[in-house]
Amino acid sequence: MAQATVVTRGAYHDSVALLTLARALRARPGVREAAVVMGTPANHDLLAQAGLLTDLARTATANDLIVVVEAETASGAEAAAGATAPLLAEGATREARRGRARPRTIAGAVRQMPDANLALISVPGVFAAAEARAALGAGLHVVLFSDNVALADEIALKRQALAQGLLLMGPDCGTAYVAGVPLGFANVVPRGPVGLVAASGTGLQQVATLLAGRGRGVSHAIGVGGRDMSEAVGGLMTLAGLARLGDDAGTELIVVVGKPPALAVGERVRAALRGIGKPAVVCLLGRDVTTRTDGAVTTVATLEDAALAADAALGRAAWRPRPFSAPDVTGRIGEARRALYAGQSTVLGLYAGGTLAHESLIILEALLGPVASNLTGARGRHRVLDLGADEFTIARAHPMLDPTIRLEMIGRASEQADLAVLLLDVVLGHGAAADPAGDVAPAIEAARAAARGAGRGLAVVASVVGTAGDPQWLAAQVARLEAAGAWVLPSNAQAARAAAAIAGGEPVLDRLLGPGAPR
Amino acid sequence: MSGRRGCLVRLSAHLARRLEATEGARGRVHSVFARAVNVQWSDGSLLALHGPGPLLAPFAAAVDDVARLGALRPDMIVTVESGRLLAPGLGLSWQGAQRVDCALVSRRPGGASGFAALAGVLPPHAPGLDSQLGRDARAALAAGIAERDATRLMAGARSLLGLGEGLTPAGDDCLVGALAVLHAVDASVLTEPGVAAAIAADAGARTTTIAREFVLHALAGRFSEPVLAVLRARSRDEADRAAARLATSGATSGADTLHGMRLAWDALAV
Repeated sequence: MAQATVVTRGAYHDSVALLTLARALRARPGVREAAVVMGTPANHDLLAQAGLLTDLARTATANDLIVVVEAETASGAEAAAGATAPLLAEGATREARRGRARPRTIAGAVRQMPDANLALISVPGVFAAAEARAALGAGLHVVLFSDNVALADEIALKRQALAQGLLLMGPDCGTAYVAGVPLGFANVVPRGPVGLVAASGTGLQQVATLLAGRGRGVSHAIGVGGRDMSEAVGGLMTLAGLARLGDDAGTELIVVVGKPPALAVGERVRAALRGIGKPAVVCLLGRDVTTRTDGAVTTVATLEDAALAADAALGRAAWRPRPFSAPDVTGRIGEARRALYAGQSTVLGLYAGGTLAHESLIILEALLGPVASNLTGARGRHRVLDLGADEFTIARAHPMLDPTIRLEMIGRASEQADLAVLLLDVVLGHGAAADPAGDVAPAIEAARAAARGAGRGLAVVASVVGTAGDPQWLAAQVARLEAAGAWVLPSNAQAARAAAAIAGGEPVLDRLLGPGAPR
Repeated sequence: MSGRRGCLVRLSAHLARRLEATEGARGRVHSVFARAVNVQWSDGSLLALHGPGPLLAPFAAAVDDVARLGALRPDMIVTVESGRLLAPGLGLSWQGAQRVDCALVSRRPGGASGFAALAGVLPPHAPGLDSQLGRDARAALAAGIAERDATRLMAGARSLLGLGEGLTPAGDDCLVGALAVLHAVDASVLTEPGVAAAIAADAGARTTTIAREFVLHALAGRFSEPVLAVLRARSRDEADRAAARLATSGATSGADTLHGMRLAWDALAV
């Protein structure tokens, strides 16, 4: 047996915390005993009787906390003793949260937490501006998760924030990372040298998770809201975010994610990036974006390419876009096509992530022609639906939380005779559903079975936005989808291309891989 | 930053008198917990601040909003000024506060009748009281109470002080419980010359600052409202409810106090 001791001078932890600590230490493997007592003379005697009065414990006085751990090995005892401070701190945080009345106002919250420097606001849009104004007035940066904030309010709030040297992320900012802290719908990603400014939540998530898969982490990710780069808002927060990342010593490379900005805003953004001088990758999803490099700034066409280009720049390696990284793509495409009957040639994309839907829309349009979508109001044989849009979320939670609407639509899809491919996104991370693949898998199985019953095939192509650290367990999510018959590709862009190739056949493959490329 | 307005809604009468008599007094924040803060005055005594509700110590005051205590940090200076406790970011007036008599008067007819009505099994006390040291200490205290033997009572008290688990060690809580019953029923042994002073001196030397404060007030016959509720209960139901509330104090503090009350009650053979 070995013993380890921790004496904390002048330690005042309530009895519940001390009892909880003692239990936690005793529960550690290999620990035979753990004494957690104040260093009073009587407790010295108590420890001595139990053979736990170590030399260090003897030095404790009445207001000092003694922790003596006896374990099977010296390393076990030391490790347990070393866990004392973190366990007490964890307990103190839990108690502090439980013990205090929940504040009802920003002002009350600031009183309770005077060291706070950020407020995350998620209230109905009609109230959001006032709360954001109060938070800014209290000197807090703001993550404005709320949507349905009036444009005039957004502009006024952002100007107020800038005047105070603060950031106002949003409105409709679903994802952000500040100093390694994930906010909103966010995946578990490491801290690292990539700073992001994003007018897109799932776009940010796609880039961040793909970077994490390559071992690249995020310094900060600033969500600016979907309208920030419009002419009206003028890129106020995008430019402010870029300036901060430019000044941040922990940010070595900047990625900008969004949709095509207003012309003047785009020019200001590029000028800002040139002025900062750090390597940068710009992914502003739109039609006819070509990959190019202008000094330290690389422009890319897809979210995956943003991650790949950033990774390459950090590694000082060359990079060029390619349509697929998944193995045996042509084989899988051929197999899927052979299961279809002649009349099946359309794609239906049912998306939880709006930016992912937008990216797929652009890719499918380029490869297949017109695509109907609630994102654009366009008509076409193919369809891409953003199920997080307002028309689908009336009296219903967002599809990242509630799969109901998507399940209904998958069920109806099997009745569509010309449907060849169902295209899906599955988004993991904090705030997302506990088992999104498990939610959708039965519907996929049922839809494929129904199609088979009608003498048709139905290909299901998906991508999973997530990391190995996410609570939903990425590998299990992928496995569940594949078990249901879905083909899971490494990115949304690859999934969209695969869907297009299944639906469109050889002409699409020729465009993707080049005519005569090995199949 | 000027003090944010708030108020004390409840405080012990003893504390109120002290505050009114010590305009200009300065203390410092001694310890900060999730739901309470202790302030230590220059004479070493404590003032406990906590949220609304019964006074959890005879030296306590309840603030109107526990969130206000979030402004306090260890070693902050607290002053008494014009009917308020002042600290950076905080000003607490006691002018409209309800004053609670936390003193037990001994030899009151029917004193501790509530405890007499308290039936059945008490919740488990802290393991430290079951150690050999704990058993010996409790036995000495019980014998001192039963035989009105001040020497054995002081020995038992001395052995209990600082013994066992908790920021207020289990032995101290047990002793406070015993002293509560003594004050409610028969405090004669405590009034013998030197007894209270000796126990107070031992409390100063042998236990934590916070526990010492409870013991000193207990020697003077002042207790928390949860303890008083048990001893002032007028029926078995009321006593059971009061005991159940007391038992929820701390990890085992409330239970240890109840065991001390039982010890003294049994020793007095009331």
